Amino acid sequence: MKRVIWLLALFVCAFGLANAQQYLEWHADGSVTLITFEDNERITVSAEQLGTLFGPGQQPFAGKRIAITVNNSGPKGGISGPLYRLRPAWQELTGATLSIVEMPLAEQLPTTINDLRLGLNQFDGFIQGAWYMGEYVTPGFIIPIDDYITDPRFPQWDPSWWPPALREIHSWGDSIYGTMNDTDAQVLYWRNDILSDPEWQARYQAEVGTPMPFPIQTWDDVIDIARFFNGKNWDANDPDPDNGIVMHFRVNEQGHFHYMSMSASYVVRPGDTVDRCTNNYWFDPATMEPTINSDGHVKALEKLIELASYGPRAQVGWDLGTAWDWFLRGKAIFVFSWGDVGALVQDTDRSVIRGKLGASVLPGSAEVFNMCTNTWETPSEPNVVGNTTGGSWHGVISARSPNPEVVYSLYALMATEPVSLWNVERGWTGVDPGVSIHFLPPAGTASLEGYLAAGWDESDMKFYLDAYYNNNFSDTMLTYLRINGAEEYWRALDQNLSEAMVGRLAPREALNRTARAWDDITNRRGRDLQLKQYQESIGYNP
Amino acid sequence: MRWNNRLKYVFLLPAVLWVLAFTVFPLLYSLRLSFFNVRIGQEDIFIGLSNFARAFSDVNALNAARVTLIFVVGGVVIQLLLGLAFALLFSRPLPARNVLRTVMTLPLFATPIAVGFLFFTIFYEEGGLINGLLGVKIPWLSDPDLALFSVMLVDVWQWTPFVFIVILAALQGIPEEYYEAARLESASSWTLFRFITLPMLQPTIILVIVLRVAEAFKVFDIPFTLTAGGPGASTQVFSMFIYRTSRRFFDFGYGSALAFLLLIVVLFLLMSFFKRIRQVYQ
Repeated sequence: MKRVIWLLALFVCAFGLANAQQYLEWHADGSVTLITFEDNERITVSAEQLGTLFGPGQQPFAGKRIAITVNNSGPKGGISGPLYRLRPAWQELTGATLSIVEMPLAEQLPTTINDLRLGLNQFDGFIQGAWYMGEYVTPGFIIPIDDYITDPRFPQWDPSWWPPALREIHSWGDSIYGTMNDTDAQVLYWRNDILSDPEWQARYQAEVGTPMPFPIQTWDDVIDIARFFNGKNWDANDPDPDNGIVMHFRVNEQGHFHYMSMSASYVVRPGDTVDRCTNNYWFDPATMEPTINSDGHVKALEKLIELASYGPRAQVGWDLGTAWDWFLRGKAIFVFSWGDVGALVQDTDRSVIRGKLGASVLPGSAEVFNMCTNTWETPSEPNVVGNTTGGSWHGVISARSPNPEVVYSLYALMATEPVSLWNVERGWTGVDPGVSIHFLPPAGTASLEGYLAAGWDESDMKFYLDAYYNNNFSDTMLTYLRINGAEEYWRALDQNLSEAMVGRLAPREALNRTARAWDDITNRRGRDLQLKQYQESIGYNP
Repeated sequence: MRWNNRLKYVFLLPAVLWVLAFTVFPLLYSLRLSFFNVRIGQEDIFIGLSNFARAFSDVNALNAARVTLIFVVGGVVIQLLLGLAFALLFSRPLPARNVLRTVMTLPLFATPIAVGFLFFTIFYEEGGLINGLLGVKIPWLSDPDLALFSVMLVDVWQWTPFVFIVILAALQGIPEEYYEAARLESASSWTLFRFITLPMLQPTIILVIVLRVAEAFKVFDIPFTLTAGGPGASTQVFSMFIYRTSRRFFDFGYGSALAFLLLIVVLFLLMSFFKRIRQVYQ
């Protein structure tokens, strides 16, 4: 009997030990290999990158529990997926337990704000969209992380990897609040196999009378090409006619993001200062008067409506995923969207266009509106404006969390170079490239082999990374709306854009209505308060 | 005896506490909010009736009221006519009548959210079920006018069975002797319907209208999943507008005022119907 008990105890111990090391492999030089959940992929983090807090046999946060909110994309979906993949390894490193609290995109901000406001404090951290920043920072709901970043105990990552615009959206004032993770921006994708085909170029010239404007420089070029291809069956995938472009304008979703990115080149006037007429988009930074109905915006919306007319009519009711699928199925020449498209194109279960992709920074505009003189200016080169449109989903720490260090250790591990690269190279993770460690030399420090090993087509990948580099390091950038109520301002814009898209409102009226709605929102939320936040968020000095 | 008298209050107490905590308190708290400008992280500011006044000049609120009214009137009338027609049909001897009756009631048991997503695929313009079968591209969800009709159609699909069941039960309760006596006087089918069936069904029809109107005014899930309120604001019903105002934009004061306005309208309508029911019975 005794022997049986001893054998059982031995078995339990062996099983426990085996389990304890299931997702980690320590090496003699102090580095550690993280083994991802289910996929069993291996990511090696050096001793320097890991920090001093962790080591074999050390679990500095044993027994602690944290809860992190994230979009509800599931264990294999964008943004939430990496948390699931890395959770077991992080738990073994720290001894802590991580609860991943998934929430629909539309519910995340209301739920967490209500939680914080009512003092329930169920969550230790949030994987937030950049536009939540004002809502969280201004009432003091989240904490700055500058001290943690420089603390050698934690996993190491470097804020200097960010281009200035991305650093800005993770910060408020002089403090950094968000840890590097995802880097969202919109670029133009096109069917390179079609547009670079001499036969199609000849047909274009024969039909239109001018050479195809390729490489694309301006939005007018995009419109001309989309117009030519729309309604033609230029793709042998099916017998039906195809489209020039595909977008998505289902109201209360993400259609308005496309208007922002596209209109920026008509509205944002380059320069070294930030004021009403330079490096400005949303409001007059001196008065908080909306500038969303300026002539620059109106012209951009007119162009967007024309461009949309070369896409499927049903797109006014489509969401993001439906529009992406249309492009992946080879039904549209153009789509302008987030980095997920480049990665999805590589998935041949879903895409028929792997190896046929072209990508570039969003085109410029031949003219830009000066909101001080109310005149149009014609720069010598098209006015190209980069963007950080989207969530750039990243972790922030609740000021009410009793375990901020535990939360930061998770975020910091995700931000280390090997883990970040692992995410970006796989693409399905929803983590898009945007910082120096993601780009190939000489722009960055990533390696071609890493991307190819993850299944990228080399041509697609080079287009893709070039597009993101040129966008993120663009001289002129669209400023990000991060003040309190950003969501409400955007929803008013989104609804009126949708009205304009279906022809129920003329572009100017749609934007005038938006401006009136924005004024109401500003007045209700307190003009002085909103103005101060807006000035802080865009770096305006009165 | 005295102890027994008190004991009954003890037994009532949990129910009273429940109602106070989960009905009366939220109602009063919401009423309080409707008089304030509520801003997260700041003091609430008393603004009197401003939130209520704002509703009457807010184009979005007025649009939502208009959309809801069209939805309620259009939807309930169609449901009533169809439900009545089906009830009359299925009250007659038909082959496999019981099976057909059961099939007719199935939509009632579907979850509205799931129904919304189901019809999203059925109405899908590029090769959805209907357009695929017809070989056309009807813009069910991308045309603002048709989108509201599509939402109504789904509601009709789901709720006509309810009207059908209730009216069928009432029909079966009408004594056959009335019809036999009328037939002896050579009354036509229309005369039987006009002067016997319809008057006998009137209390039931009013009850059905009351229940459906009250429910239809609160509709949320079907338009939320099917169109998200669009295109534009063409299918943004009042409850969806309240939800967005309060929960997504944290404008709890205005949202509460809107909710109370909806409550007042629905209460007024229901009281009118109940008054009519009383008159019928008296």
